[in-house]
Amino acid sequence: MNIRKYICLAVTVCASLHGFARSDVNKEDFTQSDRPGDIYKSVILGLEYEVNAGVNIGGASPMPLPAEIRQINSYSPHLNLQIGTTVTKWFGQDKKWGVASGFRFETKGMETNANVKNYGMEIIQDGKKLSGKWTGKVQTKYHTQQLTIPITAVYRINDRWKLNFGPYLAYAFSNEFDGYVHDGYLREGDPTGNKVSFEDDAKATYDFGSELRKFQWGLQLGGSWHVLKRLSVNANLTWGLNDIFVRSFKTVSFNMYPIYLNVGFGYIF
Amino acid sequence: MKLINWLLVLGMMLAMASCIKKEPLNAECDIVGVVLPDDALNRTPIIENDRVTLIVKNYVNITELAPEFELTPGATIQPASGTERDFTEPQTYVVTSEDGEWSKAYTVTVQRNNAINLKYGFEDVRIVNSMQGGKYDEFLDVSINESTHQRDTMIWASGNAGFAMTNGTKPPETYPTFQANDGYVGKCVEMVTRSTGAWGAMVNKPIAAGNLFIGKFNVTIAVATPLKATQFGTPFSSVPRYFSGYYKYKPGEVYQRLNESNKLEPVEGKVDECNIYAVFYESTPEMEWLDGSNVLSDDNPNIIAVARLSDEQRQATEEWTYFHLPFVFRDGKTIDPDKLENGIYSITIVMTSSIDGDYFSGAVGSTLCVDELELKCD
Repeated sequence: MNIRKYICLAVTVCASLHGFARSDVNKEDFTQSDRPGDIYKSVILGLEYEVNAGVNIGGASPMPLPAEIRQINSYSPHLNLQIGTTVTKWFGQDKKWGVASGFRFETKGMETNANVKNYGMEIIQDGKKLSGKWTGKVQTKYHTQQLTIPITAVYRINDRWKLNFGPYLAYAFSNEFDGYVHDGYLREGDPTGNKVSFEDDAKATYDFGSELRKFQWGLQLGGSWHVLKRLSVNANLTWGLNDIFVRSFKTVSFNMYPIYLNVGFGYIF
Repeated sequence: MKLINWLLVLGMMLAMASCIKKEPLNAECDIVGVVLPDDALNRTPIIENDRVTLIVKNYVNITELAPEFELTPGATIQPASGTERDFTEPQTYVVTSEDGEWSKAYTVTVQRNNAINLKYGFEDVRIVNSMQGGKYDEFLDVSINESTHQRDTMIWASGNAGFAMTNGTKPPETYPTFQANDGYVGKCVEMVTRSTGAWGAMVNKPIAAGNLFIGKFNVTIAVATPLKATQFGTPFSSVPRYFSGYYKYKPGEVYQRLNESNKLEPVEGKVDECNIYAVFYESTPEMEWLDGSNVLSDDNPNIIAVARLSDEQRQATEEWTYFHLPFVFRDGKTIDPDKLENGIYSITIVMTSSIDGDYFSGAVGSTLCVDELELKCD
C-alpha cells in the first residue's frame, strides 16, 4: 500500500516539476501533445529528470560504539524501500558540474540484538519510571518513514559516471524505536541497586519512539552509472549528522546516527 | 541486488565487530559469597543487596570471627576480607567497584540459633527507601537473650522490595504489606493484594498479594522464578506445640486467576481466601529453606509439623478473631534432641492476603490484618 502511495506521489511530483520547467520558459508556445519537444527543450536548458527507486541498508548507530556494547549478536537491515525523483541542472557548455535536488520517500530501519554491560535503560509504564543499568541482551528495532530532500553538487566524470555530494534534510512522518531486554539482569537505579534477573522468556520492553527527532539532516555522497540511455544504477551513502533522539532524552547515554547506503535504479527522462 | 545486500550486511557487521571497544571495568560492587573457617556456619550465608546474615552454630565465639568474602571481580572491600571482628553487634563493610566509581556499604549480622521471640505485636517498623524515591515498611523484632544479653533483630520478610519496582514514589500504605494503626493491641500488620500495573503485567505478574513471613525475600529471582523467591524459615531450637493470634479478613470484590497466556481473567462466584500457617521442618543441605513450591507440600520429607487455618477460618471475618492452632505432626516424624540443640530444625510463619498469591491469582483489594501472634513451645 505504501509503495503505491509513493509511486503516485513521485509521479505527481515529476509532473509538477515538469510543469515548473515549462512555465519557466514560456517564451515559446508549447502544446499539451508536444511532449517530445518538451523533453528536448529541457535537455537543452540543462535539466535532467530522473525517477528512482532503491533500498536502504544501514542502521542507526552510535559513533564510535560505546564500551557498554560488548557484541553485536545479529543485525537485520529490514526491507527499506525508497522511491523518489531527482532533478539535475547542469551548468556551462561542457556540463561537467551541476546541482541536483529532489524528493525521496524512504523507509529506514534495522533490527539488532546486542550483548551489553551496564547499559542505561528506562522502562516507563503508567507514568511510573523504572530506570537502571542492564547487563545482558538488548533487542532493538528502529523504523522510520521519511521525506528527504537532498541538495547536492554533481560532477560528471564522463558519459557514464557522475558523482554527487551535499547535505540533505529529512522529515520523519513516522518514527519507531522500541525493543526489549532479555537474558540478563537489571540493577535498579544504579550499579549498586537491587539486582533483578530476567531469564528464559522473561523480558522487559521499552519504547523510545516518542523521543525521536522529526527532522534529521546529514551528508550524502554517491555515484551513478549511466548504464543505458534511460537507465542508471545509483548508490548513495547518507550519513546523519544529528542524533536521532531529541536532546532532552538522556536515558540512552550516547548519540545514535542514521547511516544508510541507498542502492537502486533510476529512469532518466 | 541480493548479493549486494548480503555483502553490505556482512560489511556492516564486520565494521561493527571491529569497532567494539575494550571491556569496561566492572561497575558493580557486590558481595557474592562468604566463607567462615572451621565449619562455623549452620546455614548457607544469606546475601542480600546491602546486608549479609551469617547463621552460625551455637558454640561459635562471635566476638572473634574472620569472614572471608568473595566479591564482584575486581572489587575491593574495607576492612579486608579475613579481618577478625567482634560480631556482637552487626558490622559494616564497604565494597568498592573495580572502576572506582561505585561503592556499597554492607551490614553483616551474625545470628545464632533460637534468636527469635515467641510473641509478635508488629509494633516496630523500619522505613526502607526504594530506588525510585518511594518508601515501604520493614517489620522488625528485637529479642534479647536473658543469659548472654545478646541483642538480635529478626527482620520479617515480605514482597515489598519487588513491588517497589512498580510503585514509583508512593508511600508505605500503598504497598502490599504495611503497618496499620488499628491493631488488636497497638499497631498491627496489614496485608492487601495489589495490582502491579502495566509494569507487573509486562513481566507476567499482574497482581501482588500482601504477605509477611519469617525468612528472606530474594528479589533477584523474583521475576525469573517467583516461587523460589520466598525463602521460608529460620533456625529454631524449641519444639512448637501451638500457634495463636488475632486476625481479620475482607476478600476483594473480583477474584481473578492467571490463565495460560499470563493474563488475568475473572472467575465467577469464586471468593478469595487468606492464609496463615506455621511450619516446623528439618533443614538439610539439599533443602535449607522451604519456598513457595514446597512449604506445605504433602510429600515434602523435611516437614515435621504444620499449624494452619482451617477452610472456614480462611473466609471473611469482619471483627478481630482469635485463632489457636495445634502443630500437627506428620506421620513418623520425631524430634531428635541433638539436632534440636544444634539448630538443625527451622520454623517459619507465613501470612498472605490471597492464598493463591504465589500463582498471581486472587482478588485485588483483599485485606488481611494480623496481630499478637504467639508460638507456644515445650
